[in-house]
Amino acid sequence: MIHVPAPDAFAVFGVARTLDLDEPELELRYLKLSRDCHPDHNRAQTSTDCVAVLQRSAEINDAWNVLRDPWRRARALLEAESQGVLNRNKKLDPMFLMEALELAEEVAHADSDGQEVLTKKLNAAIDADYQALRADVAKADFDTAAKRVHQSHYHLKALHDLEAKS
Amino acid sequence: MSDAPPPKTRIVIGIDLGTTNSLAAVRAGKEPHVLRDQGADPLTPSMVTFHPDGRVLVGATSKALRLEYPDRTVFSVKRLIGRSATESKNDVAELPYAVVASERDLPRIKIDDRELSPEAISAMVLKEIKANAEQALGHAVREAVVTVPAWFDDAQRQATKDAAELAGLDCLRILNEPTAAALAYGLGGKNDGTVLVYDLGGGTFDVSILRIHEGVFRVLATAGDTRLGGDDFDQLLAQRILQLLPSKQGTEGAYVLQAVRSAAEGLKMRLSEQEQATLELDLGDRGQVELTVTRAEFEASIAPLVQRTLDCVKSAAKDAGLELKNIDDIVLVGGSTRIPLVRARLEAATGKAPHTDVNPDLAVALGAAIQADILAGNDRSLLLLDVIPLSLGIETLGGTVQKLILRNNTIPTSVSEEFSTGVDEQTAVDLAIYQGERELAKDCRLLGQFKLRGIPPMPAGLPRILVTFLVDADGVLRVTAREQRTGVEASIQIVPTFGLTREEVRRMMIESIENAQEDYIAREAIEARAKAEAMVRGTKKALAMAVLPPDQTFAVHKAVKALQKLLDANAEPDLLKSASEDLTKVTATIADDVISAAVTKSLKEDQQP
Repeated sequence: MIHVPAPDAFAVFGVARTLDLDEPELELRYLKLSRDCHPDHNRAQTSTDCVAVLQRSAEINDAWNVLRDPWRRARALLEAESQGVLNRNKKLDPMFLMEALELAEEVAHADSDGQEVLTKKLNAAIDADYQALRADVAKADFDTAAKRVHQSHYHLKALHDLEAKS
Repeated sequence: MSDAPPPKTRIVIGIDLGTTNSLAAVRAGKEPHVLRDQGADPLTPSMVTFHPDGRVLVGATSKALRLEYPDRTVFSVKRLIGRSATESKNDVAELPYAVVASERDLPRIKIDDRELSPEAISAMVLKEIKANAEQALGHAVREAVVTVPAWFDDAQRQATKDAAELAGLDCLRILNEPTAAALAYGLGGKNDGTVLVYDLGGGTFDVSILRIHEGVFRVLATAGDTRLGGDDFDQLLAQRILQLLPSKQGTEGAYVLQAVRSAAEGLKMRLSEQEQATLELDLGDRGQVELTVTRAEFEASIAPLVQRTLDCVKSAAKDAGLELKNIDDIVLVGGSTRIPLVRARLEAATGKAPHTDVNPDLAVALGAAIQADILAGNDRSLLLLDVIPLSLGIETLGGTVQKLILRNNTIPTSVSEEFSTGVDEQTAVDLAIYQGERELAKDCRLLGQFKLRGIPPMPAGLPRILVTFLVDADGVLRVTAREQRTGVEASIQIVPTFGLTREEVRRMMIESIENAQEDYIAREAIEARAKAEAMVRGTKKALAMAVLPPDQTFAVHKAVKALQKLLDANAEPDLLKSASEDLTKVTATIADDVISAAVTKSLKEDQQP
């Protein structure tokens, strides 16, 4: 089974391909597109049209899910700029992987005091990842940006696991 | 008067098909209203009694007969619909009527020699609701929006759609109950903000968190339990009562079970009003009970169930990315929210007193009527954006489930995957679709097998079959497949694990149409025969009285004989009709009106038995 990439979310929304989207504006855009395209307001006569309306509406909903999440937005942007860039840059620096492994250990053994400290540390790391990503994208260095996305995945997962503990 | 909107050309009704009660509503103007017979209770009990004399009684009449025919009165089928017999075992054990498993392990309600699906029973309730609505509106109703618990999965939704179809309704939308309630609450824009709908009905519990903004009602997250409701509270009380009675089997047992159920329900309701309640139940030679229950005792027994609902509330808030303190308002739906403990616990958990302007019994139907009006094209200012309650996935190697569509995704939503073949010349691929949150296929619900057929024969791995999984606005999955190299559309055969196959729905529809046809034909035959007999009698009388020319007498005699012969031979109604017409022609030519007078008299006598 091979996942087929969804259509470019930025194109579906008709917005500029940038990481720094204005979120309230994006939400209003989503509501407007939904009003225009939702099957409830577009009763199709034939079953072919009906599927087309559903597909369009699904595209909008799915694009909204991508664009509203900064990391999913970043992945969509990189894929749109350079197809397959995420797959090509999966190999990460062994040093980073060692650190990630240690981090996972730390999360697994954190007590309630440690959890608070660790949450702060992870949030800072994720922020730093995104800042760096932004800089990479500005330089059109999509390969480095893709690596950054993969690295951030470890931080996000560690944070998620930490939250699941409490 | 100039403000009056133009009359709506298309009327679609909203139906709340509940576990215990059902009702319909319509939005004729701006505000929706429930449909009821003058002065009658708008709630129709979701009950069907199969009377031994062959009659099928639905609603209030059925409820009145439940003690007389406890094993022939069917209720709570919403707990069975779209589920397997094995899954519903525990529910079935508490029911006074017989439920057997079909060949495909689906629950079938057994009445004498008949085995009825839960869909067929729901269809009977829907037919009754439809008829009542038509009575109240004064015109026929064809289209409806039918509500289901938000937590219903694909199979339960599809089964509800099938029931509507069997009832002769075009189901424009399967709508989630809490979402419907939010529509009723948020209409008019006074309540824009974030709202939590807590819906504890007779058999199911749902919680949904919505954001309402300028007419757009967007569900952020939903959670629930399709097997938790007021019936469970009744059951806890019923168990206490049953312990005090001698145990009974068979029909006697069914009677006791039904009587105790009703008593328990009454006791529960009184405990919402007063601190303690006493039950005196006299079942004659089947036993007597006197039981006093305090509210504290009752609350202690239901507390674990109430806690389960609060866990769902927390999980919905988490999925919505919100803290409970960020919720602006709380809307209560369902009769069980009248229980003081439920309100108190919810208030303690959220720090907010629930909103009480919405009638918890009517809100869902009223909301359904609003959505019905939107779908009828009468209101473009409102829009509902709902979510899929449970993730959908596909079984991969090793029995794990690969998630394709995640829960709480706004619907419609879709995802595409590419598949290939493992063997040369392979022309078919089977996909097993699961719904649920667990990792392993055995812990999720197998919704069905999708069999892709008609893949062009090619070496293994060469076909590229693009399969699109699309969840529509009803929350029901649609799958399409195309082979990318040849562009050939693969056919998909769906074998649902639960509920009716397409073939079964088709057959049941044809049967119901055939039955209607048979009834019509039978009535027509009886009428044709009665008319012919009356004509023969009348003409014979007239002939005896009148003096006619011989040739005319002969012609009339001949026509009467021909008709009599057909009657003796039990001929088809068409033949009887044409022979009757021949006789009419012959007698009409006779100048003397004696004959026609006699015939008319005879026909009249016949109509006054």
